[in-house]
Amino acid sequence: MSDLLAARAQMGTSLAFHIIFASLGVGLPLLMCIAEGLALRRKDPVWMALTRRWARASAILFAIGAVSGTILSFELGLLWPTWIKFAGAVVGPAFAFEGFAFFLEAIFLGLYLYGWDRLSPRAHWLCSFPIWISGLASAWFIVSTNSWMNSPAGFVIKNGQVTNIDPLQAMFNPSTPYETTHMILACYVATGFAVAAVYGWSMLRGKRDSYHRKALMLGLALGAIAIPLQIVSGDANARFLATSQPAKLAAMEGLFHTTSGAPLEIGGLADPNTGKVYFAIEIPKGLSFLATFNPNATIRGLDSFPANDRPNPLPVHTSFDGMVASGFFALLVGWLFWLIYFLRKRKVPENRLLLIGIVLAGPLSFLAIELGWMVTELGRQPWVIYGYLRTADAVTTAPWLNISFLVFSFIYVILAIALIFFLLRLARTPLPKMEWAEVATGKSLAQDQGIAV
Amino acid sequence: MALPYIMLTILWLALIAYAVLGGADFGAGVWDLLYVGNKDISRRRHEFINHALGPVWEANHVWLIFLIVGLFTAFPTVFSTLSIVLFLPFTLALIGIVLRGAAFVFRVYGTRSDKYGALIWGGVFSFASAITPFILGASAAAVASGRIQVSSVNIQADMTGATWLTPFAIVIGLMAVALCAVLSSVYLSVEAEQAGDTELEQLFRLRAIIAGAITAVLGALGLILSSSEATLLWRGMLAHALPVVIVTMIVGLATAAALFTRHYRIARVLVIVETAGLLGSWGISQLPYLIPPSMTVEGAANSPGVLQVLLVGTIIGMALLLPSLYYLFSVFKLPYPAPGKEPAAANNDSLRYNKD
Ligand code: HDD
Ligand code: HEM
Ligand code: HEM
Repeated sequence: MSDLLAARAQMGTSLAFHIIFASLGVGLPLLMCIAEGLALRRKDPVWMALTRRWARASAILFAIGAVSGTILSFELGLLWPTWIKFAGAVVGPAFAFEGFAFFLEAIFLGLYLYGWDRLSPRAHWLCSFPIWISGLASAWFIVSTNSWMNSPAGFVIKNGQVTNIDPLQAMFNPSTPYETTHMILACYVATGFAVAAVYGWSMLRGKRDSYHRKALMLGLALGAIAIPLQIVSGDANARFLATSQPAKLAAMEGLFHTTSGAPLEIGGLADPNTGKVYFAIEIPKGLSFLATFNPNATIRGLDSFPANDRPNPLPVHTSFDGMVASGFFALLVGWLFWLIYFLRKRKVPENRLLLIGIVLAGPLSFLAIELGWMVTELGRQPWVIYGYLRTADAVTTAPWLNISFLVFSFIYVILAIALIFFLLRLARTPLPKMEWAEVATGKSLAQDQGIAV
Repeated sequence: MALPYIMLTILWLALIAYAVLGGADFGAGVWDLLYVGNKDISRRRHEFINHALGPVWEANHVWLIFLIVGLFTAFPTVFSTLSIVLFLPFTLALIGIVLRGAAFVFRVYGTRSDKYGALIWGGVFSFASAITPFILGASAAAVASGRIQVSSVNIQADMTGATWLTPFAIVIGLMAVALCAVLSSVYLSVEAEQAGDTELEQLFRLRAIIAGAITAVLGALGLILSSSEATLLWRGMLAHALPVVIVTMIVGLATAAALFTRHYRIARVLVIVETAGLLGSWGISQLPYLIPPSMTVEGAANSPGVLQVLLVGTIIGMALLLPSLYYLFSVFKLPYPAPGKEPAAANNDSLRYNKD
């Protein structure tokens, strides 16, 4: 592997790993906040037991999130020193503000996870608010820096020097509103469906009690609210790309030649060597219509860009369609559930097929996140800062990047195995008796935490 | 004070915060590595460390993140240059940080039922805890020694240790490890005293004194070596950091005295001041350079507009952060009760472990 390829692979692996924990880091605290609020309000031991379970899982998930995020912060310099010199100078403050969001998140997380018997129930519940709010903020800040890579703003290049820097304009670059909205919604979609999937799985295996039903409903409530918004916002993203990053749009849609009345290619393989899309379902004039609302509009194809400025449409198109398909699948499952629920006078549907669909929608939502990032990142190639800095020019001169890639991949494998092991063990710990006194005191917590508190 | 210097001061304070908070984390792991013996004491010590670190671990860790993002925002070229030249030590330190972070959680969750998991992750935790401060200390020494030449156009990675494995760097690296060990044993003596566990209290006290002596010897050695190996630093120290160095030395002696007389709370304050003094005197000695001999604070600073935004953001951030941090520590560490804290828990603040 060339050093450039190794660096890209390491960066991509690290981000793909981190984003799982980051998404849960945005979504889970909101769920805990809602569940604990319900528990306190109704003195409901089931909600309380759920909250405590999720808190315990969060302790592990957040630690891995912090660890993988630390790797990323170093890698920005270790792998891409030229990029960080540029990005740090212009959008650096967004990273620094994100640092404060992390701080608040970590502080209140510490209070939340270890403070069950140290804080009054109310104070404890209030501690969950800063956690999800700062999770939201950190997602916003980091994605705004990514948006800046896609539509750089807030600086001028004069004689090869970056000048007239305006970091606020950089943070609020043209892509920011689209990308941040889409990503934050994605966190809620994925967390919601993932939680539903976990409990749906247990229900499939016969555990159909109020504990599992409540968790399933809360997960699906969040997911079903977020998913339509997600699709609407994704549609806006795509339309925005037509003006902001036409090369990415062309790669996403597998459009090789500039065409008026461009068709929409659904599925299939976009082969850059032959310039054709194989095995796709074609909707005539579909793309022109979706992108501009005018079925005869002209859309730029990949051939309107110099050969060395084109992203590879094969992974980008496939990833894009995978994301969209996953999104519609989640929409179908989520809404079907609530439709049946309300039609059947508020009885939780426990149809086997529907439960299987719910179990699938969880991993598929995470897959959609990964694929969406592939669209964003691979679709931006060969640029790392669109139009200003090529990925090949940003990579470090340090050697041994292959080894570095191998070592870090190995670390991720170990972390993933250990994490799954501990989460499964947590899932197997028997539930407490569902009585308020039993669930809400520190006693069960000491056992629950497995350590002397 | 000029804007770059204000930002530098903030970053240096963050560095000190990471050293006194995160450093104690590392030190706890170092003791784990060194100390094998009586099973019961060892288990209780583990529980102490888990108890002491659990709630604050993640917050302590964020200082490092803040340091990195602050550095590349305020001084982009410095971060970029160091990332290339010190690619290898930074990568190794990163691996250490990652492994010990993961190992800590896994160990905490593994202690009860799963002996092997706890053992393996415990081993990883302590090994990584010892290696990481060494590498970070050695990297700091590489910067301070003035061996990182950035005048040439093509900056090269130092994969052989010509800058970061010199005798000077090794001494400073070892000193960093020793300092972490001191920090953690002083903090743990306070906790042990609070919990009324005299046996552990004695143990930590003794260890704090021994490690403190080692730190002092290594510090003296480093100082002597710097006169030939890090001449810019040495001259800078003589010119404008001498008072800080002397105060630091006196505080070091005072820490030892406080430990001897079992004034652990005072010792805790003093050891923090000591750490701040050590790092502070390094920073002041190498002024006006960030990477001596070629990158100055003013020369490497980001444009004033960005620094302004950064400064305003930092002030707002700190206004949110500091009270929250205080609340965290008051719930888990300070002896008096905080608002919202359960009265029952406040009386029973210290560690409860079953002696069976
Ligand atoms: C739960 C996950 C999820 C789902 C269901 C969808 N997306 Fe998405 N999408 C993401 C998760 C995601 C993401 C991972 O969050 C991305 C990567 C970068 C970003 O901001 O969001 C993304 C990026 C992304 C981009 C690229 C933005 C850019 O590079 O500037 C477009 C055009 C879309 N999406 C469009 C859609 C459409 C039309 C969807 C309709 C079903 C859709 N997404 C569903
Ligand atoms: C967490 C979700 C993200 C995922 C899954 C992701 C995925 C990827 C992938 C797959 C690559 C390799 C692309 C290639 O080289 O072909 C990459 C590169 C990169 N990403 Fe992202 N990315 C994410 C978010 C971000 C964010 C928020 C930033 C900015 C702060 C960022 C900065 C970079 C940089 C600097 C590179 C290397 C240069 C390049 O290849 O373009 N990424 N990412
Ligand atoms: C280049 C990209 C990225 C970098 C450098 C980065 C860095 C980090 C770091 C250092 C942490 C640990 C904070 C701690 O110690 O508590 C972290 C956690 C987190 N990151 Fe990222 N991150 C990146 C991408 C993303 C993206 C795309 C998101 C969007 C959702 C995100 C959201 C979060 C959240 C919510 C957390 C806290 C949750 C947790 O600790 O698990 N990050 N990140």
